[in-house]
Amino acid sequence: MALMPKRVKHRKSQRGRIKGKATRGNRVVFGDFGLQATQGGWVSAQTIEAGRVAASQYLRSEGRLYIRVFPHKSITSIPLETRMGKGKGEPEFWAAVVRPGTVLYEIGGVSEEAARMCFSRLAHKMPVRVRFVRRRAV
Amino acid sequence: MAEALNVKKRASRGKREAKRLREAGSIPAILYGHGEANESLVIVADEMSAVIRHGGRVVELKGAVNEKAFIRELQWDVYGVEVLHVDFARVSEHERVEVKVKVELRGEAPGVKDGGAVEHLLHEIEIDCEALSIPEKIGVSIRELKIGDAITAGELKLPDGAKLVGDPDDVIVHCVVHREEEEVEGGAEGAEPEVIGRKAEDEEEGEE
Repeated sequence: MALMPKRVKHRKSQRGRIKGKATRGNRVVFGDFGLQATQGGWVSAQTIEAGRVAASQYLRSEGRLYIRVFPHKSITSIPLETRMGKGKGEPEFWAAVVRPGTVLYEIGGVSEEAARMCFSRLAHKMPVRVRFVRRRAV
Repeated sequence: MAEALNVKKRASRGKREAKRLREAGSIPAILYGHGEANESLVIVADEMSAVIRHGGRVVELKGAVNEKAFIRELQWDVYGVEVLHVDFARVSEHERVEVKVKVELRGEAPGVKDGGAVEHLLHEIEIDCEALSIPEKIGVSIRELKIGDAITAGELKLPDGAKLVGDPDDVIVHCVVHREEEEVEGGAEGAEPEVIGRKAEDEEEGEE
């Protein structure tokens, strides 16, 4: 089941602009290795879940996966063959707003080789360009 | 043995000058402490990366300034690739400093073979030790870690003269039974989250 907020203040939000780079959530904090976005974009809840499933299938019972992004933004759309106007569409899905530098996933408790393999499977599913990062020296 | 770092004095100020320095392969830095005047410095980026790679915490500054300094803070770019600025603090030989040191797990836990998983909760600990004897990392053996066992910060073997700063009951690593693949919390297909304040408004309208 895809992630979504439990309670929201407003059902619909404006599209917004993704400006600048991630000044928070840009470091590996919980695990040893991370997958960092180098591009901005929306990552849908379905994509986040697909990444989690791909990683857990590869890792099986080893290690631990941390998801560092949450889909807080509702994305609306209007149905096909509908005339323009008549107000904003209905919420279709939920997405996480990702800025360049955001760490999307982290893995702990596995070797670097295993983490690289796992993230390469996961990276194919991501709608933004990503790179492999290690926990930074103190 | 502290690594040597060539430094020059920096007369320039401001972000435009700092940007030019970085483009030329240098890093702006500052030296302070011991009640003496602050010194604005420039260091070579490659030399600094080598110090970081080797896990050096105290460096021997040479050139415009000749003294030992402790790397107090590193400023990184968004991607964590390049160092933007370095803070050096003056240190004397037997001065004590509080510093964060990496904790490294060693060996394989027997609990893993029994179906458990090792979770490394605390990757660095803060210790108080002499500036010239800061350890690069602190090793923790998990060769006797069974399911349900935990190693706390108080149980770590610290180098001679070092003291733990912080709670000794903090769990560094533990071995727990791996949970079944948990369902990610979320609503059913097509479900919508509760809208804050919406219900109250609806009820009020109904009453009227």
